[in-house]
Amino acid sequence: MHDNVVDRCKDITILEVLDRVLNKGVILTGDIVISVADVDLVYLGVKLMLSSVETMEQLKSGKSIAGK
Amino acid sequence: MEQMIYALVSEKIDHGKLAASLSGMQGIAGVNLYAVLFNQISAVVSDMSRASQIAGKSTAIEYAGVIETLSQQFTLLPMRFGSIMQSNEAIIHMLERNYHDIQQNLLKVERKYEFGLKVFCDSETLMAELREKSEASPLPSATPAPEIKNSESRNWVNKKLKEHRLEELLVSYIDSVIEDITGQLDRLKTISKIKKMVTPTTIIDGVFLLDKALKDELIHAVGDLQNKFPGLNFILTGPWPPYNFVDFIVK
Repeated sequence: MHDNVVDRCKDITILEVLDRVLNKGVILTGDIVISVADVDLVYLGVKLMLSSVETMEQLKSGKSIAGK
Repeated sequence: MEQMIYALVSEKIDHGKLAASLSGMQGIAGVNLYAVLFNQISAVVSDMSRASQIAGKSTAIEYAGVIETLSQQFTLLPMRFGSIMQSNEAIIHMLERNYHDIQQNLLKVERKYEFGLKVFCDSETLMAELREKSEASPLPSATPAPEIKNSESRNWVNKKLKEHRLEELLVSYIDSVIEDITGQLDRLKTISKIKKMVTPTTIIDGVFLLDKALKDELIHAVGDLQNKFPGLNFILTGPWPPYNFVDFIVK
């Protein structure tokens, strides 16, 4: 159970990293020559993150993941 | 050859320290990092031959890793992934053109960390609680005007009024949570940017910039907030380089 929580926390962290590095920070105008082709991963990640939080809430309240 | 730019770093204290740090680091795809200096600002860059090869999730995470490592030693402004210029000369001209804005932004984030705070709710439970509250104390306007005789119209008006009332209660509840959060964090002199109702379950999505020395107090304050709102789930992330507090676009 602990490993599952750790894995899901990693998912959240990766999503947060991608959100920042792809969408925030100093923007160069006119000089950007690439775009990230797998931006859909972030969208999928949002869903993953929300489901992760729900799972963590279940874990917090003592319900097992297998019982989902 | 093109250059990928990772961050703009303040070098007003020690010009040699950055070069020494970069000699022990690698950029994405294992290439060497180096600094392009203009006055007291350096751009941390790496050479790259084919831009198309670096577009991807894993390289974006590697890129963030370089910024994260540098931010532990230097005051910096992270660049957005994919910031590429055609030559070192072009980078120097960019630093020169934007020198004032870069300096101002570096000053703002000096000795500060960024934190993220997301507040999640179980939307069904929260709406059920608010619905109960709404039914317990209906607004006077919840009674349709007597001239509406038709029961179908009357039911429709009633339903719409209830939905409206529920929406108002939800917004008012979220505002009260935001007020509590900002009340706690204002004590720590944070700069904050808060969005509400990002999704039905993410009721608050905030970022905060605060003094590095106050990190433990922030964690404690968020713990207090979690205790105050046991039905919500507070997720604090950080410390981050100041991605959300760059307030200029490079000209």
